[in-house]
Amino acid sequence: MIKHLYLSILLIIACFMPAQLSAIEIIANLKVPDNSLSQSQLRRIYTMRQLRWSDDSVITVFVLPRQHDLHNRFAKERLQIFPYQLNRIWNKLTYSGLGVAPIIIDSEKELIQAVINTPGSIGYIYEKTLASIQPTESDKEFDVKDDQQGNQGVVNVIKIED
Amino acid sequence: MLSKLKTNIVWSGLFLLSYCNYAHKLFSRKFLYTFVIVIIFSGAAHAETEKNYNQSTIQDFQLHGFIALGLIDVDGSDFVNDEEGLSPDLTELGLNTSYQLTDTVRLAGQVVYLNGGNRYAKGFRVDYALLDWAAYTDESWQANIYLGRFKNNHWLYSSSRVVPFARPSIILPQSVYFDGFRDIAVGSDGAYIKVSHSNDKLGNFDFSLSYGKSPISDKQTEILLGDSAFGKTIQDYELHGSVYWQPTFSQWRFGLSLLNSDFHYNQNQDFDVFYNAEFDFQFYTMNAMYEGEYWEFSGEIYQQRFVTDGFYVPGFHKDSTGQGFYGQTRYKVTPNLTLLAKYEYFYLDKNDKDGKKLQETTGVPYYFGFNNDVTLGLAYGVSSNMEVRAEHHWVEGGGRLTPVVVPDPQKNSSEKWTMWAIQFMYWF
Repeated sequence: MIKHLYLSILLIIACFMPAQLSAIEIIANLKVPDNSLSQSQLRRIYTMRQLRWSDDSVITVFVLPRQHDLHNRFAKERLQIFPYQLNRIWNKLTYSGLGVAPIIIDSEKELIQAVINTPGSIGYIYEKTLASIQPTESDKEFDVKDDQQGNQGVVNVIKIED
Repeated sequence: MLSKLKTNIVWSGLFLLSYCNYAHKLFSRKFLYTFVIVIIFSGAAHAETEKNYNQSTIQDFQLHGFIALGLIDVDGSDFVNDEEGLSPDLTELGLNTSYQLTDTVRLAGQVVYLNGGNRYAKGFRVDYALLDWAAYTDESWQANIYLGRFKNNHWLYSSSRVVPFARPSIILPQSVYFDGFRDIAVGSDGAYIKVSHSNDKLGNFDFSLSYGKSPISDKQTEILLGDSAFGKTIQDYELHGSVYWQPTFSQWRFGLSLLNSDFHYNQNQDFDVFYNAEFDFQFYTMNAMYEGEYWEFSGEIYQQRFVTDGFYVPGFHKDSTGQGFYGQTRYKVTPNLTLLAKYEYFYLDKNDKDGKKLQETTGVPYYFGFNNDVTLGLAYGVSSNMEVRAEHHWVEGGGRLTPVVVPDPQKNSSEKWTMWAIQFMYWF
């Protein structure tokens, strides 16, 4: 009885849930040596407290505008920080001369292009967008014997470890 | 890694000691303006000559700015103007640039134009103009040395007080962020060291230490001492340190700051009401800030010690300790609308909190001995880079009205006064 009630409640909640949101992927320029980062490292990079990759090359940080839905989700879900807190940290750097804030890119499409073109850069995109520009893991396995060079993709997908 | 950091800092410290002795001679007004203009034009020229579109150019050279215009109306004091009417003296403009010379060296500068009526001197000024050397950096440590004119980064809002959209209210709590003292407290010419440490278990730490001095204009002297002071006020030095700590993945941040500064006053040999003097000023603050999804809380507790030798008559000596605090909260009603409430309590002498002794000994009305303020306000974000703010202040006391040393009870004849302001701001 309790089990049925529990399932019914879950079903009712599910009915009111929005359509499943696309996950967020962290991408970097292909020349970036790191393939994975801890969540703390990712947060340090976006709060401008870590400025170099593991090979000592400079990190260039790209972000979407403050009111972009992907930006707000990225801040809360991947950095566990509220977007206004990020703004405050970046404004302080920019307007007090203490440092440099991330570069704002208008759209997801332009952000991908910026990451492709800029050595040492990092950004974030929807998983579905990544799938449209880059071969998936299964594609790679299937094609690995045919073409090892051509399947690396256009960006480096960074795995975030908890 | 840590030993390398220490070696770098020791080496840098020796250099800075010798540099600080000459810093004030270097940073003339003309030199600082030239410095900022050269960065802007060299960066722009560099960007222009890049034939191919390249993101690294954007990273190397950045240009930002802000415009804020508003109206302010004060009833019962000369905080903004002597006439007490509605005033447009709430203008703040700023333009800044940053140019990355090498991987470790960066130039940055900001010029601002301010018009705040009686609050501070009207006009252009170089807010900061500095060379930033990233002396050491790794995954968890960063050490930067800033040379030139740098911002005071030690109090909760000291580095963002000049930036309208980055501070919590149009008028900041005056007991800490006293506008009459703005040009001296906002930054210094000298050297500033910042060491940041990020630790997965303990959290983020920021250690700052600065040494320098601020030029004090005749207008600033008049604002502080009144128009009967014909001599020169000179800051001998300012030593300022602070520590900030944010526990790992916490919404809280805690800070502590210590300031020691000496000034002297050289009386005008031809004619002056006042005499040669030495002033010793110490200021200690503790602060906490909570940033939740909807609620924000922040507050600072502080103590100041002001020692005067001379000035009124040769041999005069006074040592007074002022104390106070403010607490404020902001609530985000919607992503665009934020409400503000603040309470501030401050007195200039802990042995004379109600100002009665001040009145008995000097004849200055008692209410110049304290300053309490209740503020309600709101901010509405029109877009990503546009905002409108409005706020109302209910103030008791004249402890933060200028001139400070010789208060003007004729213009400020009531203990209670009010003020409201509305400001529109745009930034890029």
